[in-house]
Amino acid sequence: MYLIKNLQYHFMKDLGLPALMRFSQKTKKRRPKKLDTCFGPPLKSTGRLKEVMTRHYFLSRYAAGARPVAWVTSGAPVELLRAFGFYTFYPENHGALCGAQKVGSELCEVAEGEGYSQDLCSYARIDLGVCFSGRTPVGKLPKPDLLFASNNICQTVVYWYKVLAHHWKVPLILFDTPYNFEDITNNDISYMVGQLEEMIPVLEEVSGKKFNYQRFQDVIRVAKEASLTWGEVLATMKARPAPMTIFDAFGHLAPIVSLRGLPVALNYYRVLLNELNDRVKKGIGAITDERKRLMWDNIAIWYKVRDLSNLFAERGMNFVAATYTNAWAETISYLDINHPFESLAKAYSLVILNNNLNHRLELMERLIKEYRVDGLVIHSARSCTPYSVGQYDIKRLLMERLGVPSVVIEADIADSRVFSEEQTRTRLEAFFEAMEA
Amino acid sequence: MAKREEYIEKEKKEKGKKLFGIFPAQYPREILWAMNVLPVEIWDPPLEVIHANAHLQPYICSVVRLGLELILQGKCEGLDGFLFPHTCDSIQNLSSIVSDYLGVKEPCYFFYHPKSPYQDSSRVYYLKQLKGLVSRLEKQLGPLDSSQLKHRVQQGQEVAHVVKQLYDLRVQGELEASNADFYRVVRRGEYLSPDDFLPLLEEFLAAAKGSAHGGPAVIMSGVLPNPKEILTLLDELGVRIAHDDLLNCSRRLLVPPSRADDPFEALTESYFAMPPCTTKDSSVSERVNDLLAKVEQSNAKGVIFYMVKFCEPELFDVPQLTGELRKRGVATLLIDSELNQNLSGQLATRVEAFVEMIS
Ligand code: SF4
Ligand code: SF4
Repeated sequence: MYLIKNLQYHFMKDLGLPALMRFSQKTKKRRPKKLDTCFGPPLKSTGRLKEVMTRHYFLSRYAAGARPVAWVTSGAPVELLRAFGFYTFYPENHGALCGAQKVGSELCEVAEGEGYSQDLCSYARIDLGVCFSGRTPVGKLPKPDLLFASNNICQTVVYWYKVLAHHWKVPLILFDTPYNFEDITNNDISYMVGQLEEMIPVLEEVSGKKFNYQRFQDVIRVAKEASLTWGEVLATMKARPAPMTIFDAFGHLAPIVSLRGLPVALNYYRVLLNELNDRVKKGIGAITDERKRLMWDNIAIWYKVRDLSNLFAERGMNFVAATYTNAWAETISYLDINHPFESLAKAYSLVILNNNLNHRLELMERLIKEYRVDGLVIHSARSCTPYSVGQYDIKRLLMERLGVPSVVIEADIADSRVFSEEQTRTRLEAFFEAMEA
Repeated sequence: MAKREEYIEKEKKEKGKKLFGIFPAQYPREILWAMNVLPVEIWDPPLEVIHANAHLQPYICSVVRLGLELILQGKCEGLDGFLFPHTCDSIQNLSSIVSDYLGVKEPCYFFYHPKSPYQDSSRVYYLKQLKGLVSRLEKQLGPLDSSQLKHRVQQGQEVAHVVKQLYDLRVQGELEASNADFYRVVRRGEYLSPDDFLPLLEEFLAAAKGSAHGGPAVIMSGVLPNPKEILTLLDELGVRIAHDDLLNCSRRLLVPPSRADDPFEALTESYFAMPPCTTKDSSVSERVNDLLAKVEQSNAKGVIFYMVKFCEPELFDVPQLTGELRKRGVATLLIDSELNQNLSGQLATRVEAFVEMIS
């Protein structure tokens, strides 16, 4: 059985899928795109991004049975799993995709029908909705052999993955990252290193493969390079005009989240970086008239990315920085192939959401200065307590310290039912006025 | 016995105790006792929320909202410090708001406890966390006297022993106290020194021994029994809460004893043997087994899940727990409530209907 599945998986990966993609390219009707005058020419790399991610989701249909499959949270140290050849699936990324395709709310409703409160994170509800109904815009999700979670982004993922563990009857590995109320301690680091070492026998058992230290180091090297390149991609937006917008970056984030540690992600970001550097050289901006530069706080409102992108671009306002996109570039420089376990512990536990709010405030101040930001849009995401609690104070303090105007949009990441068009419009109109004052 | 505020005031003035405001839920109280600190827990202060909404979104639970309100109304000014155990994302961020953004003058401490599934590394970590907390506290409070710690660990075990006796009697239907009285006494441990709590518990045990009334028994799960009207309503309906799975009651009061000689070892051993809890990421199966054992021991007819609105840790587990319980013929009732708000007529009707069903 394993042999057949494996053959099928490799056939699709190496022959079937490339052929299918070529075919779909050829048959795609080439309708002339209506170009919005507010925007610069579209990024060519976006086509490549679609290919990379389509391939990833398409292959997931063939992964179960052919490769050990792990469902992984966005902040978990996936590098360790890659060393065992796991096919990794990211429910959060899939949740964002469902949100962007505007099917998030109906999947949430499936979970709510099974008793999951509407007050829970919508990524979790979407994922549970998919588990209960089997419905997903990507066709089919691979059944997990293992669940791998880290609470460095929230405790929610652990509650959610416990539900999955009970549902799928598979083991759950938790990478427990103590919250940095103050500075990280040696005790915290030893604890995390100890956990990583304790995971190895479990991973060997689930994957049927022996741990290969050399391979692990290789993965770490590729992951670090990809994250650094992602950091450079974001840094191109320091240019005026910025060659892309944060709304583009929300999309281009997918490989660093879902394919971190694989060469495909690194290669992709090299291509993207070249294109952006070229645009900077030529002075091509993401929007044609970049009058104001903004920063975004929190996860995207996936079902509104396009609308918001248009709304701001029409006013000559471009988002050039975000705490969210920055999260996958911020700490990866800690990775060190000579001290893989310690460095993984630091890189993953020092991420924005696992740090105290002073750290976040300082980070935002730095981004505002480096990216020459004129205003801030704060998404208070109903789904996400750790990202959202503290934002009202951040808003106040940034105004006091830097005089940066800001607005809070009360919304959600993927459940459009809680989005109020009217309230958002009113708040944004007031913000636009303040920006022009 | 004196009221909460008077008692706390007296402990400070007459016994020279330092007062620490403690946010939910699990923390090594013995260490504080040993350092002459009276831990005063902040769960559900009876306040009207006026200022906290400027800092917290509407979708945050009322435990966090009321705790912050207490600080913002200046009612914590007599305190000498705060301790925030790492209970959930909301408490985690609250700790940082209080410490980093509000500029409170009292020192703020944070206590991270390892999450389940526990490994060897978890035990090593917890033990060092206890010692780390001590060294941070020593900077403010002076050195810890190790014999005091030993004494307080012993006293903690005595408290837990009497609490366990009370729970055992309740399970067996041999405690005639009402639901309201039982929880009123048990919850006094949230601010009493063990020197006073222990005799109070013993006195209550002696006085309340006796046959419970014959109505149906239920288990209550959730965070805390507030609003208290739920307890009185159940009393009126002749329903006995025979056991609970409440975060601020059995999940942290039924501390299993340890024989370890070293007090830090003893605290560590007890911690890892505590009942399963959402805030420690215990698995759904552990929680199902724990609830089923409680149902079986007490012959309970149902489980009431009494949720604090917006409490993610609890809400995530509920559908699978209720599913597993129902499969085994145990009735369940889910109630979502805000703290300190009277029971609505609609809610009371749901409780009554549930009681009718299990009677
Ligand atoms: S949206 Fe927030 S709460 Fe939900 S999984 Fe992501 S970090 Fe966790
Ligand atoms: S009620 Fe729930 S969400 Fe609120 S503080 Fe307690 S554990 Fe956290």
